[in-house]
Amino acid sequence: MLTLIVLIPLVAALGLLFVNKEATGAIRNLSVGASGLSLLISLVLLLRFDTADPGMQFVTTLAWVPMLHINYQVGVDGISLWLVVLTAFISFIAVYFSLDRKESLRNFMALMLALEAGTLGVFVALDMVLFYVFWELMLVPTYFLIGIWGEGRRIYATTKFVLYTLVGSLLMLVGILWLSLIHFEATHELTFDIQTLVHMKIDPAVQFWLFWFFFLAFAIKVPIFPLHSWLPHAYVACPIPVLLILTGAMSKTGAYGLIRFCLPLFPDAVESFGLLIACGAAIGIVYGAWIAVAQRDLKALVAYSSISHLGFIALGVFALNGEGIGGSVLQMVNHGIIASALFLIVAILEKKMGTRNLNDFRGLSKAMPVLYGMFMLITLAALGLPGLNGFVGEFLILMGVWTSHLLADLSTTYVLMGGLAIVFASVYMLYMFQGAMQEKPEKLPENLTDINRREFGLLFPACVLVVLIGLYPKPFIDRVAPSVESMLTVEKTLNLHAGEDKGGHH
Amino acid sequence: MFSYCWIILFAPIAGFTILSWYGNRMSRERVGMFGCATVGLSFLVTLVALSELLLDAEKQKGAVSTLYNWVTAGSFSLNLSILIDPLSVFMLLIVTGVGFVIHVYSIGYMREDPEYSRFFAYMNLFIFSMSVLVMAADFFFLIVGWALVGLASYLLIGFWKEKTSAVLAARKAFVMNVIGDVGMIIAAFMIFDHLGTLNFLDVFTLAGEAFRPNDDAILLITLFLLVGAFAKSAQIPLHTWLPDAMEGPTPVSALIHAATMVTAGVYLVARCHVLYELAPYTMYLIATVGVVTAIFAGSMGMVQYDIKRVIAYSTMSQLGYMFLAAGVGMYSIAMFHLMTHAFFKALLFLGAGSVIHGSNDEQDIRQMGGLRQAMPITHITFLIGSLALAGFPLTSGFFSKEAIIINAYHSDMGNIVFWAIAVLGAAMTGFYIFRVYFYTFVGQPRTSVHAHESPPIMTAPLVLLAFFSLTVGFGGYMVDDFLATYFGMHMPHPDDPVFETIGVGAGLVGIAAAIVFYMTGKDRLEFIKQMLAPVYDLLFHKYYIDEIYDYLIVKPTRATGAFMEEKVERDGIDMAVDQVGTQVREVSRVISLWQSGKVRTYAFNMIVGVVIILMFVVFQ
Repeated sequence: MLTLIVLIPLVAALGLLFVNKEATGAIRNLSVGASGLSLLISLVLLLRFDTADPGMQFVTTLAWVPMLHINYQVGVDGISLWLVVLTAFISFIAVYFSLDRKESLRNFMALMLALEAGTLGVFVALDMVLFYVFWELMLVPTYFLIGIWGEGRRIYATTKFVLYTLVGSLLMLVGILWLSLIHFEATHELTFDIQTLVHMKIDPAVQFWLFWFFFLAFAIKVPIFPLHSWLPHAYVACPIPVLLILTGAMSKTGAYGLIRFCLPLFPDAVESFGLLIACGAAIGIVYGAWIAVAQRDLKALVAYSSISHLGFIALGVFALNGEGIGGSVLQMVNHGIIASALFLIVAILEKKMGTRNLNDFRGLSKAMPVLYGMFMLITLAALGLPGLNGFVGEFLILMGVWTSHLLADLSTTYVLMGGLAIVFASVYMLYMFQGAMQEKPEKLPENLTDINRREFGLLFPACVLVVLIGLYPKPFIDRVAPSVESMLTVEKTLNLHAGEDKGGHH
Repeated sequence: MFSYCWIILFAPIAGFTILSWYGNRMSRERVGMFGCATVGLSFLVTLVALSELLLDAEKQKGAVSTLYNWVTAGSFSLNLSILIDPLSVFMLLIVTGVGFVIHVYSIGYMREDPEYSRFFAYMNLFIFSMSVLVMAADFFFLIVGWALVGLASYLLIGFWKEKTSAVLAARKAFVMNVIGDVGMIIAAFMIFDHLGTLNFLDVFTLAGEAFRPNDDAILLITLFLLVGAFAKSAQIPLHTWLPDAMEGPTPVSALIHAATMVTAGVYLVARCHVLYELAPYTMYLIATVGVVTAIFAGSMGMVQYDIKRVIAYSTMSQLGYMFLAAGVGMYSIAMFHLMTHAFFKALLFLGAGSVIHGSNDEQDIRQMGGLRQAMPITHITFLIGSLALAGFPLTSGFFSKEAIIINAYHSDMGNIVFWAIAVLGAAMTGFYIFRVYFYTFVGQPRTSVHAHESPPIMTAPLVLLAFFSLTVGFGGYMVDDFLATYFGMHMPHPDDPVFETIGVGAGLVGIAAAIVFYMTGKDRLEFIKQMLAPVYDLLFHKYYIDEIYDYLIVKPTRATGAFMEEKVERDGIDMAVDQVGTQVREVSRVISLWQSGKVRTYAFNMIVGVVIILMFVVFQ
């Protein structure tokens, strides 16, 4: 089933290349069909998921490169389950949103679907080589999507993005090989299976190196302060449909990698560096929010607010307890929903106004009452209003930080910084919402109409989810919690002989 | 038990949902009826709960009704549940009762407004949020309600969303309240960290053993809770949003910014009295801030010309009295004043609304005058409200305020300074409210606008509230009895004729001063104004607090944001990353120079290499 979810968009992407460029109807049907089908299957997956089982479910294993024991192995647990559903959901919205594209629809769609497949693959891969392949597969379509169809300094932005991530991921590749070599030396069994490797107790000195190799790749992707500087460029240059996937789904792969690999594989290194990394995350929370306060360009504003919100997610991961990580996973879903809805709104406004600078228009509420209501709801969720979904995640994360043993020395500071960012969030979100929608109408184009049925349909699911998760987060957390618990208590059954000097060769 | 009390929550939220979806398609009459009916239903259910509590003393200990398990993550688990006990029912009576009356009034007041249904939807949302706040059985849902009332307040302050001043005022109120929310969230973390639960009943049971009096932990918890309380109840230094909040429609000011929401801070202290009793230092701070706010706000109220702003400052001032009472440990007196205040302050606001309505949306008292003849019912009810506010003997305000003033000295935690400042504040109260009264209703009309009395649907609520403003004062003992189970004690009634007389006298002196200045010629007034010009200026500009905040906090914050974007982000981090790329390219360019294709260069390089290796081998 998981294979289908990943494969359908991939096959559709390849298939699109054989469709006539002019056959827009067929292209539309194929791409919407593929991503829709993928979403449907992921919903079935959600229904058939066994809440009580903390381990991997729906596992499929096929030999891929038997000589090196590399397998095609996929599966989901409570942590990745929601991210798979989220990715399928956001991708569907993004594909649907870009349907009325005029030029080079075919290539655009093919790349979008490839991006979807890559992101989904990252969340389900259980073999580290497979994981790496999907990880790089995400990168290629993004490069072209931003580089070809972006705006502004798109070449600069996309090159920066790709180089930045590539540096990280190459280090990760070294890390993967090294990790599996260690395992091979100890047991004379070559494997890239993450579920086997986590039980390996690695010498702390080696852990430190390996940890940073993996960590850098993930931290750049999240991004954790101060590795974030690709994000504003890439986000501002990125076409909105791509941005939906980029912010809604792909930005979660980093935090997911931290949870899946860094925490269980290198507990000693996490113990030593956790406080420091959380510091970066906490600074990023305030930093992003603070810069967002000064933005007038809506896209840049949401981009910087994303740095802030993603910082919350990273911070929760390093709280290293059930509340923090559970909150982080929930917040990944929340941020995916909220940020993508915000970018959709920005896109709609830009289309209608011809600008997305807050100085250039105001007072839309009268002309667009429906958008007004939806925008307000999403704004409130984004600034963390209790009762809506954003708050649940932030509350759990900050509670996790407060009670964390790992962060005990600085937990109060981190929570206060989080609190400051929440205050800033209310400032910049209200600037954005009130600046665009309220006050006397000014500089509005003639014949301004409210959002049409399709745009309503795109925003509506987000509005429902925002309220639903806020009112009743239990079904979400209940699926996450057992897996987090088992991940935190993973047993190190495979003891290696200490003292193998692997560190220090770099 | 009490599971039917969920109706109190469901009715208004259903009202909100239906009105915001279908409100535009319903007729105005039906919107008004529907909006009132939901709140009325909540009020009736509250009455049922009240009777059950009164009939069965056993139930007064409080009962929790759970709807479902909300979330479980790690060691943190939370049920969605409500707590029904005397304190929550007492608050609910005020919220839904006064709320209902104000809803009815709004039918008349908002009649001309094009967005009639949106108004009632928001009002219903407010009643729901406030009910969540007072019925919450744990700190988490207290915070949820706390933030939701902030939202409703934001929506209603900015109801006329095309008015820039209203939009700004709404944002200011929201942000200030978020600061309070964050304080409460941190307090909740600390409580959970120490006690492992957020449930009120558990927390209050465990607190006595977990904390020693004036522990660091309990002091911090109570202080962080106070941040929320002070932000919501507009106490110094988080008060600046309340006067601006008067940009909203007048019924909103009456309901949210006088009778109910702003009293949430007092409710919080009363609800957590177990915690506060463990932190006497914090109690002292509460009383101090309360009494300072009382005269601080009162002094500003004495010179404002906007009728609603004067009443807003009066609200701040009266809230200060409530905090004073709570701070000296007289919780049920604080709640009693909260109740009497809800009646007479709602009455004053609605009366002001009637005046504004009747004189074509004029709010400046200098443009009014002589409305006594044109608006007889408004006049007489406003007079009753003013007397109650000033603490005129035998009105409701007299009983509750007297009790606070006398206990400011006589209770264990009271002292003569609290008492003296409270008395001074009482004199100010009498002065500023009668200044407004004389300006508005007495004398000759100052403009040619022909004022008219409001329709019965607006005057009937006035009469009802006036009746209660006169009579509820006699119910003080009943309130005390009812709440005694929760606070664990009855309030003392110190017998001190001298201090009591001075307290009563202060209000009367204030009224007399207003008569002297505003009824007997303008010369004296102008003379005093000239004499005290600097003071007058300071008061009129609200002690320049807004300006100070702007210079110290708002402007630097924005400047820092821009600075960080410009210098730290672009010229710092981003630049550094780009430099890495540039340098790598530079290095490869230099390397590529070596690969020039010239055989001579290669040969030279080779020889140099061989020599170096040889030297390395030889000298090792």
